Amino acid sequence: MKRERRRLEQILLRFGFLIVFAAFFILFAAWNPVFLHGGNLLNIIEGSAILMIMALGLTLIVATGGIDLSIGIALDFGAAFAVVTMSSYGLGWFSAACIGVIGGSLVGLFNALLVVGLRISPFLATLSTFFIGSSVQRIFTNGGGPISHRRMPTEFRNIAQGDILGLPTEAVIAAILALIYYVVLERSIWGRRIHAIGMQRSAAIVAGIRVNRILILSFIAAAMTCAVAGLIAAANIRMFTPLSGFSYLLDAIAAVFIGAALHPRGRPNILGTAAGVLFLGMVANGLNLMGLNFNTKDALQGIILVSVLALAVAQRRSRSN
Amino acid sequence: MPVETRPLLRRSDLVGFLPLVIFVGVLTYISLHAPNFLTFRNLELVLMQSLPVILVCAGLAIVVMAGGDDVVSGGIDLSIPATAVLSAGLTAQLLTMGYPLAVCALSALAACLAVGLMNAALVTRIGMTPLLTSLAMFVAIVGVNNVITASRRINVDHPSIIALRSTEIGPVPLGIILVALIIGILYLFVHQRRWGLNLQAAGGSRDAAEISGIDVRRLVAQSFVVAAFTGFVCGFFLLARGSGSSPGVEDNLMLEMVLATFLGAAFSPRRVVTLWGAVLGAVLVAAISIGFKSMGVNVFWTGLIKGSLIVIVVAFSAIAQRGRAR
Repeated sequence: MKRERRRLEQILLRFGFLIVFAAFFILFAAWNPVFLHGGNLLNIIEGSAILMIMALGLTLIVATGGIDLSIGIALDFGAAFAVVTMSSYGLGWFSAACIGVIGGSLVGLFNALLVVGLRISPFLATLSTFFIGSSVQRIFTNGGGPISHRRMPTEFRNIAQGDILGLPTEAVIAAILALIYYVVLERSIWGRRIHAIGMQRSAAIVAGIRVNRILILSFIAAAMTCAVAGLIAAANIRMFTPLSGFSYLLDAIAAVFIGAALHPRGRPNILGTAAGVLFLGMVANGLNLMGLNFNTKDALQGIILVSVLALAVAQRRSRSN
Repeated sequence: MPVETRPLLRRSDLVGFLPLVIFVGVLTYISLHAPNFLTFRNLELVLMQSLPVILVCAGLAIVVMAGGDDVVSGGIDLSIPATAVLSAGLTAQLLTMGYPLAVCALSALAACLAVGLMNAALVTRIGMTPLLTSLAMFVAIVGVNNVITASRRINVDHPSIIALRSTEIGPVPLGIILVALIIGILYLFVHQRRWGLNLQAAGGSRDAAEISGIDVRRLVAQSFVVAAFTGFVCGFFLLARGSGSSPGVEDNLMLEMVLATFLGAAFSPRRVVTLWGAVLGAVLVAAISIGFKSMGVNVFWTGLIKGSLIVIVVAFSAIAQRGRAR
């Protein structure tokens, strides 16, 4: 009898996150049948695209053993550069998108300068990037008013509102980026080096890995990725809203750490991050369909977040024992 | 520790003073350009403004001491500002429902201690990293508080709470005396009692502390409860400062808390987070914010100034440390 209970406990811990995922899925489906409609499931994926892209960039930084609190600033910069290029200089949509991504990379470059050049810890370095980046946006927009561009070229708007083969473009972009990140981070020698730095930096240095170069490139790549999310955000509402990237930060951190907790050795990884993003997207969508009051929904989401993280970490620990 | 002979002042020590020198320099610059800055009245205002930040910084400093100062894997509690806002929101809501202040305060205390215990359990029992735990808890607590207050501003004019802001005992405001008293008690526990020594040992090197028989898990758990308590007290100062509870205070408070506490580490001789460093950091950050405001600098620039200050101060302290290691 006791042994059976232990077994049950083990099964629960082993597949805990999957069970919770399934349980929430069934709960939402039972509550409101609309949840299961193909259109709504597509909504969840479409709505998770920006968070997915941000979480990819963050996964890379966390894999190097750091943290990036400025991913929201990179999103803002990407959106701002692209929108201003189109509205003030009248450039075409493609060059605007490129300039947006380059503009976002400035944030990564600045982070790299602080972390690698001045040896400031990533937490404090990216926190100051956050302060400085927010302030720059306030100064630039004279207090934080949005810059709208109603006559945005259709091609640019299609980044967020178009379809490719019947799938929303932003979801396709997110999927392609996720594939690239998966190949680089999990299946290539660069990925090995990045994980090596994250696990044992001094060992990585001794092994002859060019730690500084990889760190610089990682910060820039992460910022450029988040700038792509900025393009989508700008195309979606046809304007640049200053300081809007911050709202994705906590969810992105949560997704990355849910993903890391699912990994057998607790490493951040792309598949886990994707699972985390989809879970957060599903919960947000499902709670919306339950027709709850906005505040209640927020509180429930927070409580679910804490419980799921606790479960994921407990699950990993029981597996490693 | 071995006794070493060393010159009275090394160059690395001089570099180590630079963060403080920079701050004094900035403050001197402000006082030259904003004529009223160095008056007694204004300095009192600076201190009054920084009281809530001082309280949460003290709480964070104790958590960092117990868990070690690696921000990602060591001790950190980002949920203290949310706890403070919960304390303020719950008290304000219960006051408007007509309960006596004592009942409101006790319920807020119970809620805050529950948050502290929850943090402690997640970190020490389940093994989540403090950064992740407290970030997720921050979101959850703010959500719960928004349900309690329905995300609206609640005015509070209870005389006992307003007294924190306006009553003066002799020439000194009551609020300053109370916070000084609390910091004094924390100082006694952290620097004059065995508990504090154990706490610093645990944060300094967890393994070494465990080998010498210190129950590190218990200390870490206790530090989270103390931090939640500082959040509870801070809630009342938030109510006094804003004449009530308003939604959205927590974000700024969190950023200021992290900024001040880790700037404080740059002022300490060993570059570690200390109670005094955190308090000094909180006061200096408030002084600089108010100073630039009274100089007529556009508010949009304050983030830029704060961000640059972190960079400059932390970079100098890193240089000083490298000089010392040599």
